[in-house]
Amino acid sequence: MLKVIESAVPVACWSCAVAHNEATLFCPHCSKIQPPSGGDFFSVFGLKPCLNLDLTGLEHEFHRLSRKLHPDRFARAGENEKQWSLADTALLNDAYRTLKDPIHRTEYLLKLHGAEIGEEHSRKDRRDPSRVPADLLEEVFDLNMQLEEMRAAKKMGEDDPALQASLEQAKAKFEGLLDEVDDSLRAQWSKWDAGDAGARAAAQKEMVALLDRRRYLNNLVRDVTETLGA
Amino acid sequence: MAYSDKVVDHYNNPRNVGTLDKSSQEVGTGLVGAPECGDVMRLQIKVNPDTQVIEEAKFKTFGCGSAIASSSLATEWIKGRTVEDALAIKNTDIVKELSLPPVKIHCSVLAEDAIRAAISDWKKKNGVAEAAAAETAAQ
Ligand code: FES
Repeated sequence: MLKVIESAVPVACWSCAVAHNEATLFCPHCSKIQPPSGGDFFSVFGLKPCLNLDLTGLEHEFHRLSRKLHPDRFARAGENEKQWSLADTALLNDAYRTLKDPIHRTEYLLKLHGAEIGEEHSRKDRRDPSRVPADLLEEVFDLNMQLEEMRAAKKMGEDDPALQASLEQAKAKFEGLLDEVDDSLRAQWSKWDAGDAGARAAAQKEMVALLDRRRYLNNLVRDVTETLGA
Repeated sequence: MAYSDKVVDHYNNPRNVGTLDKSSQEVGTGLVGAPECGDVMRLQIKVNPDTQVIEEAKFKTFGCGSAIASSSLATEWIKGRTVEDALAIKNTDIVKELSLPPVKIHCSVLAEDAIRAAISDWKKKNGVAEAAAAETAAQ
């Protein structure tokens, strides 16, 4: 389980011995590379956990740090520093990949705060019918049936214009629903970023439910697109 | 991921794929989803009104190989059992039988959920209270 490092413990730089309590890749004092910290992905970029991220700034910082970690720069460095530069690079890449994607970032932050996402759903929790409304399941199921019919028809070399049309319609509809979910997620981001503990807990619950819904919709859009394009 | 032989077998030759008449009084339908991955499964049972024995079971799963195998196995297991007996099937039994790895446990949970949902739909349709059904089964 991931843990939020609320206030990182001050660590002394191995080189200049000045204590720094940021989970940074480089010592803020002497600029020497530091071993990978136990901090979260946000701290790699010197950020506090948040959901509304300045993506341009993030990308910029990613490139700057990547350059600073480039192996060429450590060609003459000690063995430790070489190892750390590799480990830091791996950490930086993971952190960037996770944070730049809005959904991955949201899931990551929620996990940091103890939400059960994906494989970690507890049994009790997932039986809660409010998590995914039954009518959505019905729709998902029916559309999957249609998709199957269409795939079978295509295999036989048949073209069913009516089916094709209804699939196009369904695709547009579910893409619309996906957009709605994403808008709602973004609204919760701001609530989480600005909120106190109580507001955050509420936003967190909302987001977990939205992400569940999103997974069904996303599968559908993917499958419909595949079938239509095949 | 490497699937066990049993999973492959059920995947290639799924048992009891199909549909039962949803509107029939004797049929219970369970439609469930796995929030972990967005997969969906429908499992239907046809119950003999006198004996409460599940005479028919059909499923349709849109999901991974493990989910298909789990639901295929589930229909095999519940056929011929009474409704209350079928409720005793746990997802862990499915995990064991199919040797599912930890990341695929939720697929077996989906099958257990589907059995429960189908049975509770049938009970609702037939006005069978949970406790009353348990008594009948115990007799
Ligand atoms: S991966 Fe979703 S049910 Fe198996």
